[in-house]
Amino acid sequence: MLTLRDIRKSYRIGPTEVDVLKGVSLEIQQGELVSIMGQSGCGKSTLMNIIGLLDRPTSGSFMLDGAEVSYSDDDALSEIRNQRIGFVFQQYFLLSRLTALENVALPLVYRGDTGTNSHDRCMELLKRVGMDDRANHRPNELSGGQQQRVAIARALVGNPSLILADEPTGALDTNVGGEIMELFKTLNAEEGITVVIITHDPGIARQCKRVAVMKDGVIVP
Amino acid sequence: MMIHPSHLKEAARSLLASKQRTILALIGIVIGIGSVIAMVSVGRIVQEESLRQFKEMGTDILTIEKEFGGGGPPGMQGAPGAAGGAAAKAALRLDTILAIPSRCPGIAAVAPSVRGSGDISFAGKKLERCSPMGVTASFLDINKLTMREGRFLSDLDEQSRYCVIGSQVAAELQKQGASKLAGSKIRIGNNLFTVIGVTNEVPQGGMRRFEPNEMIYLHITTGLRVFANAEIQSITARVSPGTTNNAARDQVMAYVASLGKGQAVRITSPEEIIAQMEKQMQMFTLLLGAIGSISLIVGGVGVMNVMLVSVTERRREIGIRRALGAKRGDIKGQFLIESIILSLIGGLLGIIFGIGASWLIAHFAKWQFALSFSAILLGVGVSNAVGIFFGYYPARQASLLDPIVALKSD
Repeated sequence: MLTLRDIRKSYRIGPTEVDVLKGVSLEIQQGELVSIMGQSGCGKSTLMNIIGLLDRPTSGSFMLDGAEVSYSDDDALSEIRNQRIGFVFQQYFLLSRLTALENVALPLVYRGDTGTNSHDRCMELLKRVGMDDRANHRPNELSGGQQQRVAIARALVGNPSLILADEPTGALDTNVGGEIMELFKTLNAEEGITVVIITHDPGIARQCKRVAVMKDGVIVP
Repeated sequence: MMIHPSHLKEAARSLLASKQRTILALIGIVIGIGSVIAMVSVGRIVQEESLRQFKEMGTDILTIEKEFGGGGPPGMQGAPGAAGGAAAKAALRLDTILAIPSRCPGIAAVAPSVRGSGDISFAGKKLERCSPMGVTASFLDINKLTMREGRFLSDLDEQSRYCVIGSQVAAELQKQGASKLAGSKIRIGNNLFTVIGVTNEVPQGGMRRFEPNEMIYLHITTGLRVFANAEIQSITARVSPGTTNNAARDQVMAYVASLGKGQAVRITSPEEIIAQMEKQMQMFTLLLGAIGSISLIVGGVGVMNVMLVSVTERRREIGIRRALGAKRGDIKGQFLIESIILSLIGGLLGIIFGIGASWLIAHFAKWQFALSFSAILLGVGVSNAVGIFFGYYPARQASLLDPIVALKSD
């Protein structure tokens, strides 16, 4: 469902051109639980931005669900992010003014969907991540693990084909991080959702069915 | 960009989240819109006020004045013939004027008048601020004057030494010690006149070419005889019901022209004067509005400032929203809605503030307060426009943020 071919990305910093990705090729099948692991500076964040359609590659091809997506215009990329990709970030990135429920509903708002159906759908997902009793709490009233659960519910709400998690346990202690990893594994196993986890932690990577190791802008075979 | 109730709710919430800044921006907008509304509203009140005074006499009144051939100044009493040598047209004779209603069916009544000058005194003391005027019995009705006591001059008072005084003159007499107004004797030049009546006080302004409260009315025949170089310079005429002012004017023009002898008159109808006044008032209101707009611009810059700070502070939020699928237009719309809400709330408060201010001004100037709906509409429209205009740039800045850069900022 996701095919990267010879993805290159370079940034111009002052007079010098820095190659961050030097030809990444990667194929991920529907229903996989993959981790992309590497030390900081290896280019995994840049790769995640490209997979998440937040950034465009300098060259190469990125097919999502069989269609080339990398070079679409901004509105089209926004729509694909909204419909097919669910993000989970290291710092949760919930909006502090909104309740858990409203945070979960955000992707639906950008689909123009704010009715009762959307409310029910959000409650269902909060229940799925065990946060339905905190639906009307704001992020600052929740612990880190609880916030990350809400963020996962938000990532799932739009029925995406891909969950993209960037160091999802990086800000959590080991126990809570373990619970979050269990949640990802359950979602993957029970609902067949494709999950890609970017991490520098071998312990996290080991829990995934497949590990792609990155080093110096390429995936090490 | 679709507007959902949830968008409005969120915008309101984010404005509330930074109360202090929101309030400061509101003050700017309130003062801006408020001053525009107050200015426009006061302009309207003044306009209404002067028109009201004007219309009080009725709009079926024509003013017929002698045309000065050489462009000489009016009020040439004391200067024999034409001042400056220019040939003044001959004055209309009293009998010619009194014949107008019978010759012109469009005119119901005429009230010619003659102004006089000279020292006026009572009981040996000079009376200030009053002037004599010769009139006919029809004068009272046409000029919408009413009697406070006694009676007005009648057609039987030709050549009499009776006079009727305005309320101001009456007050002056009482100040000089007159115990009873009726029967008091006023000296004008070398002639003594007996007061037979007092007119009611009339508010200032309007279409009358004289100050009714400061007048001493004599019969026109007396006036023509005792005033130096007296000639009839102004005639007030009431138009017959069912006749238009223009038709009546044409009849009078034709009648005067038929007299020959180079006589000519200038006739003004209230419509012309009202139209003229309205034009001037509109300029006046426009000017006031323009002055108010300057403070509106200052208020608008305040809104822009608040929105720019808001965009900078909420870069991460923008990044998150973009990652979750918000399009550039959604982000732009979100910030535009906020600035429009801010401006509209400011606008509503400003309207209240502006109307309150104009009410106070009207109250202290003793004008009749009038609620100007166009000013309210203007306020709502302008505040909306301010929100869009001054909110657009910050909203655009927000929408152009790179999602990655926005997400990484704190």
